[in-house]
Amino acid sequence: MTTLPLDNSHHIREHLRERASATVKRRQFVSRLMIALCWVAIALAALPLGDVIINLFIHGWASVSSWAFYSQLPAQPTLFSPDAVGGVSNAIVGSGVILGYALLGALPIGIGIGVYNAESDSRFAIVLRLVVATMVGAPSILMGLFAFGLVVVQFGFGFCILAGAFAIGTMMLPVLAASTEIAVRNVPATLREAGLALGAKKSTTSLRIVLPAAITGIVSGAILAISRAIGETAPVLLVIGGSQAFTWKAGDFGQALPLMIYQDASSSYPAQRAQAWGIALFIVIVVFVLSLTARIWANSKQKERR
Amino acid sequence: MSENLLTVSSPTPVTYVEGRQRPSTSSRGPYEYVLLAAASLFALIAAYFVGTVIWRAVPAFREQGFGFFSNAMWNASFDPAVPSQFGSLSMIIGTLITSGIAILIAVIVGTGTALAISFLLPTRLRTVAATLIELLAAVPSVVYGIWGLVVLTPWFQYTVGPWLAGIPGFAWLFGTTAGGQCYLLAGLVLGAMILPSYVAIGREVINSVSKELIEASLSLGATQWQTLWKTVIPTARIGLFGAGTLALGRAIGETVAMSMVLGSALSTNYQLLKPGATLAGWIATQWGEAQGSSQVPALFALGVILMVVSLSMSLISNRLVARQRRAATL
Repeated sequence: MTTLPLDNSHHIREHLRERASATVKRRQFVSRLMIALCWVAIALAALPLGDVIINLFIHGWASVSSWAFYSQLPAQPTLFSPDAVGGVSNAIVGSGVILGYALLGALPIGIGIGVYNAESDSRFAIVLRLVVATMVGAPSILMGLFAFGLVVVQFGFGFCILAGAFAIGTMMLPVLAASTEIAVRNVPATLREAGLALGAKKSTTSLRIVLPAAITGIVSGAILAISRAIGETAPVLLVIGGSQAFTWKAGDFGQALPLMIYQDASSSYPAQRAQAWGIALFIVIVVFVLSLTARIWANSKQKERR
Repeated sequence: MSENLLTVSSPTPVTYVEGRQRPSTSSRGPYEYVLLAAASLFALIAAYFVGTVIWRAVPAFREQGFGFFSNAMWNASFDPAVPSQFGSLSMIIGTLITSGIAILIAVIVGTGTALAISFLLPTRLRTVAATLIELLAAVPSVVYGIWGLVVLTPWFQYTVGPWLAGIPGFAWLFGTTAGGQCYLLAGLVLGAMILPSYVAIGREVINSVSKELIEASLSLGATQWQTLWKTVIPTARIGLFGAGTLALGRAIGETVAMSMVLGSALSTNYQLLKPGATLAGWIATQWGEAQGSSQVPALFALGVILMVVSLSMSLISNRLVARQRRAATL
């Protein structure tokens, strides 16, 4: 006669333990796998970005490190002198002039909008905030179309540097407005209240207390806008005409650095392609230096305040 | 880079000293008027922007009618007896294909990267990686364009393309001949381009998930991945969706890089190894020869499509990221 196992809880417990440990093992395996995939993702992200930077230096360094790149006008290479590409002095000046005019118009207006949006809670300000937020994401080529329709055709200026500056400036406006608004909002309310409590007028408080306190944010935003503007190709492509001559006049056909990359990248002369790489490297260096400087400056300012 | 710009639509009311009346609108000084003038000027510019682009496109819409959306032909006629034919169908589909590939890459690789930067990298490297990502987001698109054109196009033409074209059973997807400039390459380059800005915002959104929530999940015995997948990502999903919409908006509006790596071909053959055109890219490539012809309004009409799509994307993404931020601070 066999005895029935009256108490089989031991077996059940054993069974459960086995199943549980299998589940835990499976979960841990899945977890390890997916975490490994996250590492793969970061490698996949770094690969193309690293490749861009490496290629910039390989192909572009020779141009950037030669003096002729900055001092000479571009030349058209021929079969007999395939390496005679000259420099890009006109495009450097052109880009500088476009940026200068764009900043001249966009900085005061952009900061004005930002301060207005931060300090007013009228219905107009609410609508304006929405418009700013929407315009930040507008594709840059639309600003080119806008500048063409308004400045080139309607105002009758024709293709010129000024139209390019208008397109770039319009592009910068919402960026400046948004960053200024955030910077002003980030100023502690107590600071503003202290100014008002001392009997200062609203405008005095705003100009003498709030704006100086917000200056790091405003400048960082401006630098962000500038570094975006330097490399913008599409809007200038549509309206500045493109010229090989040296000019800084607002009414002339102009040339800009990114536009030259666009035109020279598909050239059949290797030297001209190398020059395009050189311009690309030059822009990337300028953008990196600008944003790093802004960052370091903002950090040191913040520490100073504490 | 642009993550700072997204807080705009989460207004915090200006606070005033207790017991003090809010200054009434009648007590405006010159300073307030200067600000109001700047704001009004911007409203005017924005209205003119939308108005100009639409108004210049009207002749094309009137001439082509609904055919502008359903037609894949683009023939500028110089003979007054023969009407021009402008249709945006292949540009619309080309834009959908390239930005579809790009957003797929950006979301999958980008979310993984953002998680890895926020949780897996050693603490000291996190700020470095975040700074690097933000710097890379500032690299202009024309630089990605020259990289795609000079470095990747030959590689695609002679290595990747023939290999993909040779896979049996996938001819409907890739086609049977390898090309350099093609939809697939354009999508990949576009993906690499929008990745940094997606990661920059995505990382910020992920960082806003509260530590307590993560620790609670871990202390319940969830594995690291379960915590990320079932706690962090669902909590951050609205913000991640917003970041994705923003990246998609950028992808749709990308111009010069697309005209460089996609070529400029109009056909109804949308296999991934074929060259094509996108809305923005086509405006750029046709602009020079279009001057003075009936093509200009047609190109403006492409701009109108682009404007409607990208502005609504921008609006949606702003709302979403702002909502996430409010949810995180509550």
